[in-house]
Amino acid sequence: MKVVKGALPVILAAALAACGSQAPAAPADGGSSLTWAVETEPITFNPHQWAQNKARLLVFNQFDALLAYGEDGSFVPWLARSWQVSDDGRVYTLELRDDVTFQDGTKFDAAAVKANLDKLREPGYNPTVAAIQLHAFDKAEAVSPTTLRVTLKEPDGLFLDFLASPYAGQVSPKSLREAGDLKAGGPDVVGTGPFVLDRYVRGQEVHYRRNPSYNWPPQGSAHQGPAHLAEVTYRFLPQAAVRVGALTSGQVQVVEGVPATDIESIKRDPALTFRSALNSGTSFSYYFNTSHPPFDDKRVRQAFREAVDVDAVLASVYQGTAKRAWSVVAETSPFYDASLTGTYGGDAAKANALLDAAGWTGRDAEGYRVKDGRRLTVRSVASAPYVRDRRDILAQAIQAQVKQTAGIDFQVKIVDQGTAQKALDDDAYEIFENSRGDSDAGAALNLLLPKDGAINRTHYEDARLDGWLAKASASSDPAERKALYAKVQRKVVTEEAIVFPVYVPSDQIAASGSVQGLGFDPVSGTPRGVYDVRITA
Amino acid sequence: MTAAPPAPRPPISRPPRPHPPWSRPSWPRPPAWLGAPLRRLVSAAAVLWAAATTAYAALLLAPGDTVDLLVGDGADTPEIRAQIVAEWGLDRPEAVRYLSYLGRLLHGDLGRSYQLQQDVGEVLAGQVGPTARLTLAAAAVGVALAFALAVATAGRSAWPRRIVSAAELVAVSVPQFVIGIVLLFVFSFSLGWFPVSGAADPQALVLPALALGLPVAGVLGQVLREGLERALEQPFVVTARSRGLGERAVVARHALRHALLPAVTLTGWFTGVLLGGAVITEALFGRPGLGRVAMQAVSAKDMPVVMAVVILSAAVYVTISVLLDLAYRIIDPRLRSA
Repeated sequence: MKVVKGALPVILAAALAACGSQAPAAPADGGSSLTWAVETEPITFNPHQWAQNKARLLVFNQFDALLAYGEDGSFVPWLARSWQVSDDGRVYTLELRDDVTFQDGTKFDAAAVKANLDKLREPGYNPTVAAIQLHAFDKAEAVSPTTLRVTLKEPDGLFLDFLASPYAGQVSPKSLREAGDLKAGGPDVVGTGPFVLDRYVRGQEVHYRRNPSYNWPPQGSAHQGPAHLAEVTYRFLPQAAVRVGALTSGQVQVVEGVPATDIESIKRDPALTFRSALNSGTSFSYYFNTSHPPFDDKRVRQAFREAVDVDAVLASVYQGTAKRAWSVVAETSPFYDASLTGTYGGDAAKANALLDAAGWTGRDAEGYRVKDGRRLTVRSVASAPYVRDRRDILAQAIQAQVKQTAGIDFQVKIVDQGTAQKALDDDAYEIFENSRGDSDAGAALNLLLPKDGAINRTHYEDARLDGWLAKASASSDPAERKALYAKVQRKVVTEEAIVFPVYVPSDQIAASGSVQGLGFDPVSGTPRGVYDVRITA
Repeated sequence: MTAAPPAPRPPISRPPRPHPPWSRPSWPRPPAWLGAPLRRLVSAAAVLWAAATTAYAALLLAPGDTVDLLVGDGADTPEIRAQIVAEWGLDRPEAVRYLSYLGRLLHGDLGRSYQLQQDVGEVLAGQVGPTARLTLAAAAVGVALAFALAVATAGRSAWPRRIVSAAELVAVSVPQFVIGIVLLFVFSFSLGWFPVSGAADPQALVLPALALGLPVAGVLGQVLREGLERALEQPFVVTARSRGLGERAVVARHALRHALLPAVTLTGWFTGVLLGGAVITEALFGRPGLGRVAMQAVSAKDMPVVMAVVILSAAVYVTISVLLDLAYRIIDPRLRSA
């Protein structure tokens, strides 16, 4: 590399002469600007199409939802001033703010909200939301410009969560009608948010400028009126080492997604700040496929969990920065059942006793357990695009442990999406790895646990379990839901051992010390938008 | 070869792939009456069709169908599936979909991206420029460095030659990803000379162009020097020297031309290196470009985007091989009569 250095400027001057240049835009009104390096480039900027938890931090810069989550996990007003639920839980009446305009000048009113809801039900627009979040939706009526009445086919305790989710981000009806690439979002799909998306360079960055007329933040915001920052740029830097280097060299002021190996040095640096928050939804867990041997035997499922010393594995893979999970529900959720703490794991003697009892008594030449001439092999097939947080390394650590302590042959395969889907279709897997970031853990459990759940990979069926989940979904009484979800957790984690919770996913933000007001969205635990962020001298 | 050199010729070093593209034996020759330019157009179109069809078949044979990929790791119910199938017309037979794809392609319609929900033409339009800038800058860096180092060290004293040769070997052997990270750590994070990302500012092009161009410089430098040194052993060099030419003039005016032929043949190879390396370089430096779009599309099996990138790359290759034909004729007078 030394040889090259001397000749560099001369050669590059020639190479670059032909290349066009754009001057970086200065803040239009003299306010401060921020550059934030993010790991994941969103597939879409349309909040209705949002599907990546890692891209959630962008949504609420440009869009406002009808409700928001408060710090205590309760719902607070946003574009809806107040809301009422009828006694039978089927009619929701929303009183809307009357002082809100979309960024294209359109007035925000009940008709706009109705247009958004109707759009989500349109065939081919977002089949997932139509089938899951809006499964109970019947109709929306604009009673007056500020009053919207939503009628459901059946009570749905998760409907308020939907109204506070990115899917309820309000898109201008004009954009819904006229935008060229409505599903992709971008500058011509506008909302009511504190920032206006004015430039998107695919693969490089997205740029927002302040919405000067913004005055309708959710209740509980640190300030009112327009945002402090005049503009903000999010750079897409998928490599963790590059993000951290860009931060430490002052080229960006904020990064998210800090690798465990860099957390210690960032915490020691007096010029930088570090914060992290646990995500909502479900813990990262191994789900056992109970439809065929060996995990159709509860003792083998328990043995697998006992064979792993989770604390040791997490310490070595994440340097002590990962939080061990004890339940399928992440511990930030109000429905988390703390009584599950310490109920399983790390008992090698118990693991071996269970496997002996289950008949896996033989050993083959490589030291793996054998029963009726078949090796105790379990396979996990993960799709590479969805593997994050060094979960491949984590699986290898678990693989080594279960081999050493219990003679289990755990095969870890990281493959392309098509191959992974084929393995699932063919029932050619024994372990399914998953975590979900739903703000209401119940929404995630409804997909993962019931008999006909859309992501039920355990093939476990239990009518009572399905009954509890359905009842909890329909109820809007937090205490009743908590009691029901506690039963669910005890059933799947303790009694049946169909889930092996491993750790609670988290998000991290590292920033230069001059950046104030960063934080995480309550409940979801993902980084917050930059409405309250300011830069001090 | 169409242009077999007559016997009494000084032996010149042979390029690794000495067949000029128009005479590749594996490809059936279009009839002679078509005339040379038309013939070349027809074979270019045939190459494009073959590339498109091969890519189409490969994507078809890969496990998992399109509906699975559109569902992703999210909720998966028969109702959701039915809507996706209806939306994208996935219920038609494969042959019909293939033919309708080709038909639309002929009208210049590249289709719609499954994943990005946008017209593929629109997606790619914004990405061609940054990738062209990156690869051209990298090619310029590679070629300039290779020439400078080869001319400076060919036939010279052992030590500078050995050091440069070792540096070239390192540049070729170290993965581009590592070269990029090292460049970033030294020149961006520590010295702060160049920014880490962005395509707008020419400064931001320096490090990616270097990361991508160094491996090219390594191989090209080795081949050029080898060629130069062999040419310098030829009798015509003695003649040139006897006319009183200085060493530098001998190298630059006479030997270099002989060394060029194998180096030019490598152009096809390094087009591949540059386009392939762009995938890694663009992701590492957070640059926009085709490489990044292609990688995302391949991992999501976003057929329309993958197809468009394949066809575009094939077009680049065809263009370059035509340009190479012309270059051979300019460099080597023996081929002009062919």
